[in-house]
Amino acid sequence: MIEKRKNILLFGILILALVFFPFLATNYWIRLFTGIFMYGTLAQATNILMGFSGLVPFGNVVFFGIGAYFTGITMLSLGFPFFIALILGGSVCFVFAFVVGHPVLKLKGHYFAIATMGISEAIKQIATNVKITRGGMGLNLPLVPLEVNASYLFFYFLMFSAMILVTIATFWISKNRVGYALRAIMSNEDGAKSIGINTPHYKVLAWAISAFFTGLAGGIFAYWYGYIDPPSVFDIGISVRFIIMILLGGAGTIIGPLLGAFFIELLSETVWSQFLFIHLGVLGAIIVLVVIFMPKGFVWFYRQKFSLEALMENVRKGKL
Amino acid sequence: MEVLLSIKNVSKYFGGLAANKDLSFDIEKGEIIGLIGPNGSGKTTLINVITGNYAADQGSIRFKGHEIVGLKPYTINRLGIARTYQVVQPFVGMSVRENVVAGVLFGRDGKGRKMKAAWEKADEVLELCHMQEKKNEMVENLTIADVKRLEIAKAMATDPDLLLLDEGMAGLNPKEIDDALELITQINKMGITLLVVEHVMKAVMSISQRVVVLHQGLLMAIGTPETIVRDEQVIKAYLGEKYTLRQKNQGEAKRL
Repeated sequence: MIEKRKNILLFGILILALVFFPFLATNYWIRLFTGIFMYGTLAQATNILMGFSGLVPFGNVVFFGIGAYFTGITMLSLGFPFFIALILGGSVCFVFAFVVGHPVLKLKGHYFAIATMGISEAIKQIATNVKITRGGMGLNLPLVPLEVNASYLFFYFLMFSAMILVTIATFWISKNRVGYALRAIMSNEDGAKSIGINTPHYKVLAWAISAFFTGLAGGIFAYWYGYIDPPSVFDIGISVRFIIMILLGGAGTIIGPLLGAFFIELLSETVWSQFLFIHLGVLGAIIVLVVIFMPKGFVWFYRQKFSLEALMENVRKGKL
Repeated sequence: MEVLLSIKNVSKYFGGLAANKDLSFDIEKGEIIGLIGPNGSGKTTLINVITGNYAADQGSIRFKGHEIVGLKPYTINRLGIARTYQVVQPFVGMSVRENVVAGVLFGRDGKGRKMKAAWEKADEVLELCHMQEKKNEMVENLTIADVKRLEIAKAMATDPDLLLLDEGMAGLNPKEIDDALELITQINKMGITLLVVEHVMKAVMSISQRVVVLHQGLLMAIGTPETIVRDEQVIKAYLGEKYTLRQKNQGEAKRL
């Protein structure tokens, strides 16, 4: 109980700090943190499916793209206000995942991961070739009707709210029916069916919820950047990045994916500014080291009370 | 007696092999029915067919008068048929209490339950199965006897009318077997019908009101334990001469 209170207190302080942060920081830091929150949202959204049910949706970036394009197109062609377009974009992702999920989630393990990548590539090709998205030309969204500093703050708090929202959703899921269903499915699908869990339904639901928040992040991204084209919003690299964040932070935990997002984004920013030419190499090496020493992520390392022995045990288990 | 589950002409084939062939028998409400037979005689297949893990190729299974062949396992569970697995299937990474609460949340009437009510029901089930003191243990730290007990607890959490136990006592020591038998009897007293698959003859014969014997997928005999142990065919195929002899001697010893 004391542990729980301590966690809530810590969380509260962290949130307060992040609320006041942009009023003290320069626009460079505000922009960097908006990016971190975006990846935090994406990682947490995917964590809902990946962390609890063990399925790895490599192509989840497809919802990022759909969210971005849907928001952009409804604003441009139909003149919808941003927030309505954004919510609609997320909802379209939810429905899309729900429809596609029923056949695709019958696949297991790697086959599911590959199928989601296939879907992502297929949607990218469609977006490149239909008229409504203006294909490879890309889409210019309306400008934010705010002065520069205010627009920085606007997107900072927008992304921040999205991250907090998806984290609350994840927390709620973990304590409720859906969370237990998913954890039972991850551990043992046959056993789960035998105690009355409608396994396909819960997997699809988890994917759809994760799609909704991924779509939200995409919609905000589109308005923030002001310009989107298929290669940038349907980039599998984005998926890979947030999946690394989940693994690094700790899949199936609430705070893990967010820690992963902070770590990777800050690290890549530092590495990029210090080692301009080999920054990807340095980043890769650091990730390899982290995975060797703590394959279950930061949260696991914290739970082991930062013991060095536990780190070495992982190295031995990895037969290195 | 009221019929709870009626199996009619059920067959299940794996390729050319008939794992269950033209099986017909009824399970009556409130009884404990033993299901015995040599390895490969189709006991586990029959359980899988009843619970919907496998679809029967022929025949019909009626539960409380409703046809259940072709339904999904989770639907069948919610109708009131729960099972345990021969190879235990606990939810690793969750505590004993969480395992049980999952059963409470998704079993019969689980849909309308709030979390708080679900935890309370889970504690009741744990109490019934004498697992209260281990409720916060992770399942990977349990002994095999406790895991088997947890399997029963999980099944009971779904609030069944019919409980199918697939070798719940294999690998247990005599003391643990006695505990398991006590639990089964207690569950039966609550009005729950049980189908018990078991190789431990002493156990199955002592608690069952009737025993079904399968042999090579066929129904070989059905009757009270007393008639089964005297059945020539069953002795030849499964029990063996020695078992009958020992039973006889014990019986005579008791009389003396």
